[in-house]
Amino acid sequence: MKEQLEALRNEALAELAVLSDAKQLEDFRVRYLGKKGSVTALLRGMGALSAEERPVMGQLVNQLRQELESALSEKNTALQQAQQEAQLAAEKLDVTMPGKKIKSGGLHPLNVVLDDLIDIFQSMGFDVVDGPEVETDYYNFQALNVPEDHPARDMQDTFYLADNLLLRTQTSAAQARTMEERKPPIRIICPGRVYRADEVDATHSPVFHQIEGLVIDKGITMCDLKGVLEQFAQEIYGKETKVRFRPSFFPFTEPSVEVDVSCSECGGTGCRVCKGAGWIEILGAGMVHPSVLRMGGIDPEEYTGFAFGIGLDRLTTTRYKISDIRLLFENDQRFLEQFDR
Amino acid sequence: MYISLSWLKKYVDIDIPVQELCDRMVRSGFEVEDIQDLSETMKNVVVGKVVSMEKHPDSDHLWICQVDVAAGEPVQIVTGAQNVFEGAYVPAALHNSYLPDGTHITKGKLRGVPSNGMLCSGEELGLKAGDFPGCDVYGIMIMDDTYPAGTDMREVLQLNDYLIDFKITANRPDCNCVLGVAREAAVALGKPFIAPVPAYTEVGGDVHEHIAVRVDDYDLCPRYMGRVVKNLRIKESPDWLKQCLRAAGMRPINNIVDITNFVMLETGHPMHAFDLRDIRGAQIIVRRATEGEPITTLDGKDHTLTSDMLVIADAEGPSCLAGIMGSLNSEIKVDTTDLFLESAKFRRDSIRRTCRALGMRTEASSRYERGLDTIGVELAMERALQLIHDLDAGDIISGVIDCNEGLPVPRKLEVPVQKINDLLGIQVPYDTIVAILNNLCIETTLTDGLLTCHIPPHRDDVEGCADLAEEVMRVYGCEHIVSTPIRGDIVRGRKLPERILTDKVKRILISRQMREIATYSFISSKAIDTLLLEQDDPRRQAVTLLNPLGEEYSTMRTQLLTSMLTVLSTNYNRKIQAGRFFEASKRFMPKALPLTEQPLEIPTLCIGMYGADEDFFTLKGIVESLMDSFSVQPDYASAKEPYLHPGRQAVATYNGAVIATFGEVHPVVAETYDMPVRVYVAEIDLQALFAIEQPQILYKALPRFPAVERDLALLCDEDMPVASIEKIICRAGGKMLESVELFDVYQGAQIEAGKKSVAYSLKFRVPDRTLSDEDIDPVLTKIFKNLKENGCILRT
Repeated sequence: MKEQLEALRNEALAELAVLSDAKQLEDFRVRYLGKKGSVTALLRGMGALSAEERPVMGQLVNQLRQELESALSEKNTALQQAQQEAQLAAEKLDVTMPGKKIKSGGLHPLNVVLDDLIDIFQSMGFDVVDGPEVETDYYNFQALNVPEDHPARDMQDTFYLADNLLLRTQTSAAQARTMEERKPPIRIICPGRVYRADEVDATHSPVFHQIEGLVIDKGITMCDLKGVLEQFAQEIYGKETKVRFRPSFFPFTEPSVEVDVSCSECGGTGCRVCKGAGWIEILGAGMVHPSVLRMGGIDPEEYTGFAFGIGLDRLTTTRYKISDIRLLFENDQRFLEQFDR
Repeated sequence: MYISLSWLKKYVDIDIPVQELCDRMVRSGFEVEDIQDLSETMKNVVVGKVVSMEKHPDSDHLWICQVDVAAGEPVQIVTGAQNVFEGAYVPAALHNSYLPDGTHITKGKLRGVPSNGMLCSGEELGLKAGDFPGCDVYGIMIMDDTYPAGTDMREVLQLNDYLIDFKITANRPDCNCVLGVAREAAVALGKPFIAPVPAYTEVGGDVHEHIAVRVDDYDLCPRYMGRVVKNLRIKESPDWLKQCLRAAGMRPINNIVDITNFVMLETGHPMHAFDLRDIRGAQIIVRRATEGEPITTLDGKDHTLTSDMLVIADAEGPSCLAGIMGSLNSEIKVDTTDLFLESAKFRRDSIRRTCRALGMRTEASSRYERGLDTIGVELAMERALQLIHDLDAGDIISGVIDCNEGLPVPRKLEVPVQKINDLLGIQVPYDTIVAILNNLCIETTLTDGLLTCHIPPHRDDVEGCADLAEEVMRVYGCEHIVSTPIRGDIVRGRKLPERILTDKVKRILISRQMREIATYSFISSKAIDTLLLEQDDPRRQAVTLLNPLGEEYSTMRTQLLTSMLTVLSTNYNRKIQAGRFFEASKRFMPKALPLTEQPLEIPTLCIGMYGADEDFFTLKGIVESLMDSFSVQPDYASAKEPYLHPGRQAVATYNGAVIATFGEVHPVVAETYDMPVRVYVAEIDLQALFAIEQPQILYKALPRFPAVERDLALLCDEDMPVASIEKIICRAGGKMLESVELFDVYQGAQIEAGKKSVAYSLKFRVPDRTLSDEDIDPVLTKIFKNLKENGCILRT
């Protein structure tokens, strides 16, 4: 009977090894381990054995049963694994095919740059304020030390709407309004649209954008101005950027300077971008004129301050190397989508 | 303002290359816009002497000339001009030469005869009548023997020079002249300024025997000087004088006119020359015009004056608009023999106002407008007389007319020296400060830390400490200003709520694949007509510009739609298949017209889109998601905008206020914008939207019991808006009704004509138990009843 047992074992294991699906495994289980299965039949046939042989054989048959059950279970697991692997293999994708994008639009490039600027100045503690685009002559000129019939009015061609009302030519118009509303220490920027009667061409637009900055406190100096502008320039153009002052004139600042940054393209050695100069003019600035402080109700003996005006359009065109300012106002989608982020 | 280097060199010793000079000037506050090397304009053109000439064998007009150019053998040049003769000195452009218009001359053959260059006319050398003797004749320019053969024509024409274009800032009217720039160049280079010291001889007599001058209004004319020159010898100016004027872009006329122009360029002071015999009554009166007084100016225009305008009059009437332009009769003429020369200071704002009122602008007026100093009036006069003397242009009569009410003396300014350094933020040595100011002709001393400065009259712009600081900084060098990091309380800047909310709106729209555009705030006055608005629509009441660049940019927009439609049209007509755009900008709504106060500037959002995937509900979905993000549930109703499709437009209101109007653009309007496709626009009043109070977000407990769902299929008139059905369901549904969702609308064969079927999914829920049919049935019954009363029955 032992031989019979051994033969059954070998036969079963050999059969199991070649099975390949769940149905065959179930058949196998029924044939060997089921109620009418061969192993069960062996147990039943034990009645013919002697009392001494019976427990020994019983143990052997049970061993066989357990062995086959665990082999069956292993085979089952292996088959399931193989099946899953086959399925996964069949589901292979060409991952280089395009994804299903959720497309988004984008800000206008002017506002992409403006947002960066606002972030930089906010982090330096500048509040962001707003002012009207239709201004009075007083805020746009007189409060900025440009009285009526002053030659400095020729610096800007102004659009008038009525005798005393005009389209602001500079965001500096926010200076006096700010001084009237706030007390020092003052630290604001005022971004916005400005207007000048310039004919449209590649570098001029009658509508453009500025960011006015104003800082007033005790003991503010030209060096503080340079510090703020240097930090701004380095955030925009890179850590290596240098800032240079050139003496200039604005009616509302004294001393006044034009501010150049080292050309980010060539690092200051001169190239096509900076027209060989190594520097690019980016803004005008200066110490707030004592008369402007006085008109804003601030005592120039006690406080000093600085102001600066950044041309957003120029900053945008230089950053993205846009050759013609008109592109900014044409709004061709193929232009705009280049700035989607 | 173009100034020639050679002219500057007369008053300051410039021993550095022109580029370096310009760099130093820029560093001290004088921007250089352009440097022109005049010698670049012409190359390899020399003085040639025609030694012999013969007729061309195969031509009846060409001449074969042998030209001595002091280079060994004479050079053979063929010319077609008929005014050349043997012994003539002519400009000869040799082989491989360049002319001012860029022409490259090389050797060649004319009808078989070799020609090694070209003889030139004045025009070919870029000369205009009066520039150089003989330059305007027809044919070759014939010169005298002043310059020997072989002399470079650039030397003859004084082209070995540079023109520098200085941009003079509005605060430095004293630098709108050669002497002013020279004075600054001297300081920038650390060299002495060699001021001209005019000297001349007079022929005796007395100016007062020839003319009397009276100034009635010293307020508008603080100083008026006059001199008389007799026996004028009017002729061409010498070459150097003509070249000076030409370099500055002025046309030489004759010696007298040229002298006044030269003096203006050099000293900055305009001068006026009167024909003495035309001054009626031998009397000059500087006075305000009488109201309505007429004058005909030199340019032939008639003007009517007002009493705030200053005139130079004689015994019978005005002969000059002071500082602006003379009249026809008082000018210097060919046969003028005696001259009255004026040098004066007029008040700048008065000149400016007069110019603006009369629409005039002259070289003289623009100089007076910027402001001239009183002392320089005399220097200009002296310099003119010196030139008249030196050029033998007339006999200077003794005696000076100088009307003034006292001449200005240097203003005294006292400033603690440390205040200058405190403003600059650096420590400039005190003695350096003193030296810089003195070099700038600001006589300065330092005692016990106090600077005492005497500001010369030509530096009206220096008013206080800040101005002195600027003078010190620009000469000491801006490169000394160092950077100090920002100081003060550490705070993050804040944005205004409106900006924060606008940013949020933009983020939402960008996530809906919209792109932001930027368009001009002023539009054509006709643009509004494209929207087909009623005549009394408030959007037709727009602010207009008094001085627009053109009709196209003449009107401040009262809506953003026309700009948006233009952008959509631009893109569509560039064959771009689809587009979604938005603009957040301002509308300008006047409170009253004509404008007396600032208009309302209303922040507004405009959305525009076109393309195969777009329809009304896509647009509405975008509007709704915007509203959702502000927790606003507006009421939607049909709108009546004439520019929108009559059946496909809606208005969203909240508490009675219009928040948004949107829909499909009327095909007629779209056609106006060359868009034969469906176009969708929305205009959203951001001011109204932002004004709605935002609820605070508070967590609501998640439901613990399941919802009970019921679907309803209803039949109603096809015109019945689903919003009204929804309203009935909600009202009848009470607190148990959690949500109502429309999931189907059907019209067609299965349904009676004029009707539609709408299907809703309703969810009922209460927080503390699972609802049973007994709970829900009475509610449903009430809903059905109310629906039925409104003509909406349950489909079976």
